[in-house]
Amino acid sequence: MRLWHLLLRQWRNRPGRALATAASVAVAVAAVVATWISADASRAGYGRIAEALDGIPVVDVSARGGGRFVIDELPPLADVPGVRAAVPLIYRPARLLLDDGRRITQLAVGVDAVSLVRLGLLELEAGEPCRDVDELLLDAALARSLGLGVGDELLVPARRRLIPRRMRVSGLVKPGSAGWFAEGADVVFDIQVLEAMSLATALVDRVRVAVAADASRPKVQQAIAARLPTNLVAEIPAGQASMAEDVLHSANLGLDFVTGLTVAMAFFIVGNAMLMNVTERRRGFSLLRLLGATARQIRRFVTTEAAILGAAGGLVGAAAGLAAAGPISAGIARALQAPALGFAVQPWILPAAVLLGFLVAVAAAWWPAREATAIDLLEGLAAAPAPPPQGVPLTFILAVVGFALIALVNQALVILEVLPPRMTVPGGITLLLAFVATTPILLPPIVRVLGWFVPRSLRIEGMLATEQILRQPVRTALTTGVLIVAVSNGIGLGHAIRDNVDDVLGWYGRMMRADWVLSHAGMLQGVAEAQSLDSKEVEKEVRALPGVASVEGLGVTTGRVAGGACVIVARDVPADQPLPLLPVDATEAELRAALDRGDAVAGTVLARRTGIKAGDEVSVEVFGRTVPVKIAALVVDYTSGGASLHVRRETARSLFGLRSADILLVTAEPGRSEELREPLERIVADHTMILRSFGEVQRFVDRIVGGVVNSLWAILGLGFVVGSLGVANTVTMNVLEKKRTLGLLRAVGMTRGQVTRMVVLESLLLGAAGGLIGLAAGLVTAVFIQLASQPLLGHPINVTFRPGVVLTNLAAAIAVTTLAAWLPARRAVRLDLLESISAE
Amino acid sequence: MPPNFLPSSIVRAEGLEKTFATAGVGPGVPAVQAVDLDVARGEFVAITGASGSGKSTLLHMLGGITRPSAGRVLLEDTDLAALDDDGLAAIRRRRIGFVFQRYNLLPELSLEENVALPLVLDGATAATCSEAAREALAAVGMSHRAAHRPDALSGGEQQRGAIARALVTSPAILLADEPTGALDSVNSANVLALLQSLVRDRGQTVILVTHDPGIAAAAGRIVRMRDGRIVEIVPGGSAACATEAAPR
Repeated sequence: MRLWHLLLRQWRNRPGRALATAASVAVAVAAVVATWISADASRAGYGRIAEALDGIPVVDVSARGGGRFVIDELPPLADVPGVRAAVPLIYRPARLLLDDGRRITQLAVGVDAVSLVRLGLLELEAGEPCRDVDELLLDAALARSLGLGVGDELLVPARRRLIPRRMRVSGLVKPGSAGWFAEGADVVFDIQVLEAMSLATALVDRVRVAVAADASRPKVQQAIAARLPTNLVAEIPAGQASMAEDVLHSANLGLDFVTGLTVAMAFFIVGNAMLMNVTERRRGFSLLRLLGATARQIRRFVTTEAAILGAAGGLVGAAAGLAAAGPISAGIARALQAPALGFAVQPWILPAAVLLGFLVAVAAAWWPAREATAIDLLEGLAAAPAPPPQGVPLTFILAVVGFALIALVNQALVILEVLPPRMTVPGGITLLLAFVATTPILLPPIVRVLGWFVPRSLRIEGMLATEQILRQPVRTALTTGVLIVAVSNGIGLGHAIRDNVDDVLGWYGRMMRADWVLSHAGMLQGVAEAQSLDSKEVEKEVRALPGVASVEGLGVTTGRVAGGACVIVARDVPADQPLPLLPVDATEAELRAALDRGDAVAGTVLARRTGIKAGDEVSVEVFGRTVPVKIAALVVDYTSGGASLHVRRETARSLFGLRSADILLVTAEPGRSEELREPLERIVADHTMILRSFGEVQRFVDRIVGGVVNSLWAILGLGFVVGSLGVANTVTMNVLEKKRTLGLLRAVGMTRGQVTRMVVLESLLLGAAGGLIGLAAGLVTAVFIQLASQPLLGHPINVTFRPGVVLTNLAAAIAVTTLAAWLPARRAVRLDLLESISAE
Repeated sequence: MPPNFLPSSIVRAEGLEKTFATAGVGPGVPAVQAVDLDVARGEFVAITGASGSGKSTLLHMLGGITRPSAGRVLLEDTDLAALDDDGLAAIRRRRIGFVFQRYNLLPELSLEENVALPLVLDGATAATCSEAAREALAAVGMSHRAAHRPDALSGGEQQRGAIARALVTSPAILLADEPTGALDSVNSANVLALLQSLVRDRGQTVILVTHDPGIAAAAGRIVRMRDGRIVEIVPGGSAACATEAAPR
């Protein structure tokens, strides 16, 4: 016989104990696997949303200092990790002469349309990509407004040609599909055709690199930049980032938190199971020590058992996690309205899950193994197990202080931007550990206070339940640790998500307050006045409509400020209407006065990226012209992710020559909104524009935000279900371990009902106390997440106390622990009294 | 060497003291005070006294289970106080056999496996473990119950099994703490007879703790304790067992 024979015998003798321990590992690993996969599915879904809104994420390669460059100067980029395709682009204004005599000027883009369609980077609503010299593609919305379809012909004048070229519409581009490269161009030529027409062979305006959805754009940008000759630069275009990206940034941080917290929860679940597993055998270990076993032998015994159960549980958990991930991912896909999302399992997940189970179990066995070797040799000789030490172990006080200090220093470094925002996740988890470590310190007073609310009819049960909780500080800390993680997860992320979404929606509401939105087919024109919308005429027509209360014009274009790309928004705000911008460290009146003076205000993200401060005078480059602009204040803004500069329209006209209004916000007189639909539809058809009601815009935004929030709730729900299983498992083990105590209580006269009530009450108190500590931890987690977002957003997001989120989580925690105790309690009190008392 | 100690002694206690701390309440409780004791090879010594007299604590110090607050224990010239935890574990494994009141057999192992456990912990081969366990069981007349689990044995049988486990490593001394405390009179007599035979037939040194004067009388020498001190050492009823007794 070897010592591991003893292990096998113990498993055979008490299979329930070994199975419960392995089940803990399985539950924990299943949680982590399901969360990993679900988080991946969510990220992929977010990528789809971002693509739908902004187009495909891109990095631009352009000539340093502006202008065109020779395409041969560009080194191959296809093998850069994260690159989907490198697309050379040229943009030219093009006049289209229709057979009925109409003449329109549009921005045209030259690309290799055949390749883009093949790669899935350009979608056609109808027809084929343009291949021949006499073919072109039209944006489907433009084609409809012009009354053109596939096969129709039109004339396109070209340089040095007396006779315009007759060209055929070979296909219609699905609206939005070309948004990632078209920059507002609604006419697409083959690049060689457009080159020939403009006599600029081999010269391109830029090469737009499509980045894979799961790749890090800054990393791809760096990798590309490292390959470029000195006359070329790689940049992320300003117009790309948008509101969606910011909502998603917060959601992504949330996903990181959920993943990290699930691992922490796994550790608590497994740690608790291991501790109980060992505690139950204290007398056996003590006897082995008496008979001459060394501390090392006992430690190896416990660790070997943990490793075997960990690997077995990890295997089962990985399978269960994979099985659970399918429906969860499908649910997330539905929530994100991306049914084609699929359910991708990375090949590393299975071995990683088994390894995780093994490592978590072995790591979690460290404390129990230490406990097992430190057992008093005489404990094995005692008739009854020794009571655990009373008072708060110094280890816990040191742990609270240590973890809290590490977390706070980490968070300070994140806020100071020494560490990236994602590093707030380990910091937040460390802080959570500090909260869990406070359990032995905070639990006694909390449980005693909660005990006051126990009805007088349950006084005895309440008193005994309180004593049961307080006599095992480490065990209680680990059991409540699972609860604290689950509750803080729900409360923390629930608050963070809602606060972030409210912040974005608040901004959107301020920016887009109108009944109708008229916009050009491509919102960011990026071209000068020659190609711009004739806004005055449209505005005039709209204002003349009966039932229109006000019309607000917004001009939007791209530019560069202090070395960074930005979006310039030109807008007039009537004095009788609230300001759509939320000033930071300035009053609304000061902001209005500054804008009226001809100053600009900058989005906080732009300010953070470029180092601009209120009061600075900066050089702004628009349409190749550089002008000095004074930054009067900073504002909370999500336009282009906050990389924006706002001026009055008159200022934009005088400084940048920006005369256009790309967006018109039309407010109807009260109750007359629907009346405007028909006349507005006529106007947009005449001017090649798009009309959307505010309701449609709102629904669009709500769909994105709702999808993201629902996907996060799904993952949070998963975390809570797993936490519940963990709590149920530990409570079950807890009750079974106390069979002897419960038997003794029955022997001295307690009824089965009293013992059951005592056990359930114990769990209820544990749930309530753990829930309260989790509440505090959750609120701090929410603050952590918002503080981590500050360096990215450039402004703080207020944490709003949300009673609904708090009460839901607390109620769930209490319900889970109470229900978890009910069945094992009933089972324990039904055991034979003698069996209970003789239980080892 | 203090006077009256025998040159042939196998275990010797010099100025042994043990005070239990009381977690900040008062100065601590002295359990054993100024105990000198010398036990010769092959001797059967009974330590007796009322509950709380310190007899079990003394036995625990002699067996390396508890470290003394002062003084030392020499086991065949090895100073137990000088050993670290692993050293003490090795001593307990190889040179001391323990028998407890509640038998303390592991419920998941068969009797033979329980008996072999000290050898298993010492890294002996499976064959050695098995052979030694069978020999020890034969010595206590329990061969026929070797394959049974403890819960299938009577109290007397379990205690005989526990004695076999204590003997399996051929220890220098066998320490028995109230070995008959949980047994009826018939089984008590059987266990006592077994211990006597081990001393008589195998020259095994036995130190037995009991509160029962009748059991103590079976020893070659009786050490009486009160309030943590040895108050009297007298010859026991078994003259044959007290060949080298040396009362101080």
